[in-house]
Amino acid sequence: MNKTFFKTGGAIAGAVVLLASVTACGSNNSSSPNSGVSSSDNPSASTSASASASAQASEQIAPKAPVKIKYLTYRVGTHASAKLEAEQIKQFNAKYGNEVEVQVEEIPSDSAYEDKLKILAASGDIPDVVMGKNGINDILIKGNLATPFNDYLSQDPEWAKEIGDEALAANTRDGKVWSISDQKQTVGYFYNKEMFEKAGIKPAQTWDEFMSNNEKLKGAGFVPLALMTGENAWTTNLILASIVGTSGEAGNKFMNTLHPSDFNTPEMIDALGKVKTMLEKYTTKDAIGAGYANAANSFCQAKAAIIANGPWMIGDFSDTTKCAAGFDQKVGIAAFPGNGMISSYEVGYMNGGKTQETRDAAEKFIRFKTGLEGQRIALEFGNVVPVSDQVQPSDELKQKYPLLVESIEVGNQSQVHYGSFDSIVYPNVTDAWKLLYPELVFGKSTAEEIAKKLSEIAAKNK
Amino acid sequence: MTNYRGYIALFLMPTVALFLLVYAVSIVILFGTSFTEWSTGLKPAFIGFRNFVDMFAKDASFKDGFWNTALWVLLQSTLHVLIGLVFAIILNMKEFYWKFARTVFMFPNIISGAAVGMLFLCMLNPNFGAVNSIVRLFGDGEYAQNWFMDYATAFLSVTMTWLPYAAVVTILILAEIAAIPDSLFESARIDGASELKINLFIVIPMLRNIIGTCVILAGTSMLQKMDIIMMTTGGGPGNTTLNLPMYIYKTAMMDNNFGYSNAVGVFLIGFGIVFVLLVRYLFRIGNAST
Repeated sequence: MNKTFFKTGGAIAGAVVLLASVTACGSNNSSSPNSGVSSSDNPSASTSASASASAQASEQIAPKAPVKIKYLTYRVGTHASAKLEAEQIKQFNAKYGNEVEVQVEEIPSDSAYEDKLKILAASGDIPDVVMGKNGINDILIKGNLATPFNDYLSQDPEWAKEIGDEALAANTRDGKVWSISDQKQTVGYFYNKEMFEKAGIKPAQTWDEFMSNNEKLKGAGFVPLALMTGENAWTTNLILASIVGTSGEAGNKFMNTLHPSDFNTPEMIDALGKVKTMLEKYTTKDAIGAGYANAANSFCQAKAAIIANGPWMIGDFSDTTKCAAGFDQKVGIAAFPGNGMISSYEVGYMNGGKTQETRDAAEKFIRFKTGLEGQRIALEFGNVVPVSDQVQPSDELKQKYPLLVESIEVGNQSQVHYGSFDSIVYPNVTDAWKLLYPELVFGKSTAEEIAKKLSEIAAKNK
Repeated sequence: MTNYRGYIALFLMPTVALFLLVYAVSIVILFGTSFTEWSTGLKPAFIGFRNFVDMFAKDASFKDGFWNTALWVLLQSTLHVLIGLVFAIILNMKEFYWKFARTVFMFPNIISGAAVGMLFLCMLNPNFGAVNSIVRLFGDGEYAQNWFMDYATAFLSVTMTWLPYAAVVTILILAEIAAIPDSLFESARIDGASELKINLFIVIPMLRNIIGTCVILAGTSMLQKMDIIMMTTGGGPGNTTLNLPMYIYKTAMMDNNFGYSNAVGVFLIGFGIVFVLLVRYLFRIGNAST
């Protein structure tokens, strides 16, 4: 009897606690003064005269609560930009925490972030601050889900100056600035100086010399290239993009075109042929199907002589959890043959706020992240190349990462610039490389057929 | 009985409401939008049967995905169930190892698909993978492969990440065997039947219902398999390991073509229903065991 009584009593008490907690959560969400929804956006706010009166009275006494904005980020955990992201948010909170409360949701992978944003965009419920990478910007613009920055920039010309005309132009369509870039991609390749010395070679000036260097490295007993064709085929495609981008006027124009539709060009076919040779003869056995981590590991563990990548990798070379101690001393950086470098502006941040209040708050957050302060944090904590010339590495950073200074110098000396494939093609093309490279290498399709397939895939994009 | 009708309705209501909200609404939207051109950020526009016509008439990737899916359904509903059945019969002999073997056999089924994918990705890595290391021990590396990316081995490699691990089938069948009256086994033994004959002519025929159920469970699991493919091959090389769930994901998320993706989803649901009805008919599921 007692047992039954306690069981029943316990169950009822549990249910009451659960109900109370659910109700509490619900009421907190719906009536929180911090919700960021103005009375004009929330009809229920004006239904009760007495509630309104008491709210007015309390507003006179209490300071205005910070506006809440939602921000999803994939720069978490082991992501190369995790540190800079955490620092930017920390410093923003310290400076503007009483005005804007950033509700951060962590998504632990780039692709999971992109998928989630696409689903949210389909339901029209995007966060207030969005990274418009890999086609997300197109979806938000097409669906009228984002607010252009033109008004904000004209009200704050200083901010516009900090971003720079080139970076703004890169994200402007039909006169509207849809996103604010937070970094410049300047990508060449890193090489193992010891291996180069033993093979008796120097960074190549032409692609023929590059191939000859690969042969010499192989002859000296080294695997020349850290390539990978899984995920977005990043390190392989940086080389592919550079072969096309430095092949002449037509190729360079192609690599500077947003959303190219025709890949069936002589430059592209020639580049695919060269990359096929590299994948067949000059890379690790696991390159076909491997992810970025495999390629990075091959280079860091001195199992490959060359990896194409951006300066954000520089920090890894002195990280003993990733590379052997002293490995950073062995690494050099070079522009691609033809003095070419991938040089493009990231899509950056978009404003997805739904009310004037959240739009303003989102703009404040984006302004901080992309202004001089945010760029400086990104440079110091993530080795990210700033969009503004006004931001330069500190003496401490120069001492810690001399390769970063070298990479900026190499970038400044390079003469041929172009975008990466990820920054110019449709997302479905980015996704297709991992299926197409094996076709190319295993002889199921020729370079011409791959180029044709890429055009067909691009045409499928909606 | 009449007095309880109100309670029955009351207790069923949450489930029915949940089903309507979570599944029925989604299915209605899925069917409705499969007749539209719909990409993210835009409103769906009715286009009739065009998505379905394109699917069958023009789309080679869809056909590759369908044949791979059908083949995996076939393999899973036959070989996988057979492995589980044989293992159950062996375990039912209750030899000294049976509890240990049952537990070990269950391991792959309690690990998440993504983790299994990562595990196989490492084991089959061409450079440092355990499989190639063993292969090299017995030769000069001639047979070492890029298992997941070579056209000759990719389909088999992906298949081997799920086909042999039939612990769920084994457990279901073991439970059913336990329900067979001992008197039947005793009678057979008195009549001089060997263990093999008992299993072949008494046990297996009496398992018809549960085997049919296992065939449905195993076969339909292939209609939703995506995690391991995503972790290992992404559907490649080419379309060698592409299945329909993976194709639906790519069409929606990469091509940004939700209308077409939903049309493929409708086809997949139809395929699943036909499969379930066929298995129910073949195994006469629900009819008393004879």
